[in-house]
Amino acid sequence: MDARKMLLPFCQWADNSWFGHGVRNSTWLFPFVEIFHLLALGVLGGTVLLVDLRLLGWRFQRDSVSELAADVQPWKIGSLVVMLVSGFFLFSSESVKMYGSSAFRIKMSFLLLAILFSFTVHRKVEMSCDPQASPFVGKCVALVSLLLWAGVGIAGRAIGIT
Amino acid sequence: MLFTGFLQWLHDTSFSVLLRESNWGEPIIESIHVLTLTLFLGFAFLLDLRLLGVCLRRRRMSEVIGQLNPWLGAGFAVMIATGVLLFIADPVAFYGDTFFRVKMLLLALAIVNIVVFNRTVGRNVAAWDANLQTPAGAKVAAILSLVLWVAIIAAGRAIAYTLPPP
Repeated sequence: MDARKMLLPFCQWADNSWFGHGVRNSTWLFPFVEIFHLLALGVLGGTVLLVDLRLLGWRFQRDSVSELAADVQPWKIGSLVVMLVSGFFLFSSESVKMYGSSAFRIKMSFLLLAILFSFTVHRKVEMSCDPQASPFVGKCVALVSLLLWAGVGIAGRAIGIT
Repeated sequence: MLFTGFLQWLHDTSFSVLLRESNWGEPIIESIHVLTLTLFLGFAFLLDLRLLGVCLRRRRMSEVIGQLNPWLGAGFAVMIATGVLLFIADPVAFYGDTFFRVKMLLLALAIVNIVVFNRTVGRNVAAWDANLQTPAGAKVAAILSLVLWVAIIAAGRAIAYTLPPP
């Protein structure tokens, strides 16, 4: 079955679920979940920036990339999980509307690419980088990572505006 | 009331009208305000977590502070600048919003916390630079900072839901 054809039924299911109803019908639940989404945005953004600024050679130049990346990895994963869970609850309150939102579709596309890139190419480069160096490939990877995550953030902001 | 008179004057300035009535001004400024959280809040949290000894443990404290501070400062400057612009667009409404007042109070406390840290336990970072166990004062400052920034985010989010439309 075409995966795209499953998206609308999925959105309808989320929209009609008890949590979808719950978040939609409560005055304070949506902003409350949003606070967690924003806090996790800060932590996730901070860890992504830290490692990418290191790869670019702009911060923590004296530290090894792999050590720095390992230091922040649990916080990166943890905040990403909080982002995804809180984001799913926010989405469920208006998922059929989100199905038709181009900003939301763009955000999800960027998110998918950012996560895939982050756990494959980015991870491989950050774990294998020479301790003191800031090679060209590292800089390219950092740049792609920053652009993908910025795409997620900007498209996400656009959902609230459009 | 001198202050409310000033806010009313600010509200009537052509700059305030321009910000309020432009279609894209406010969303763009607000987006910059929110997305700079990645830089400012993210780095502030990482610094606090290092002060608690739970993240970046193998980096020296002085190095973490030295490396993060310039970007933290830049992030803070962007937050304040965009925040001031948002305020100018609708000063009377912001001032009348309870959550805005709470947020400003908490922001003042967060700044006091930073100043106190820098003048006390932060002054002799060299003495506990590479210790896995950070001093109690550093932990207190970090917990205060985390609690205050979380509350500031919550209050900030609440403003968007309580502020009357212009």
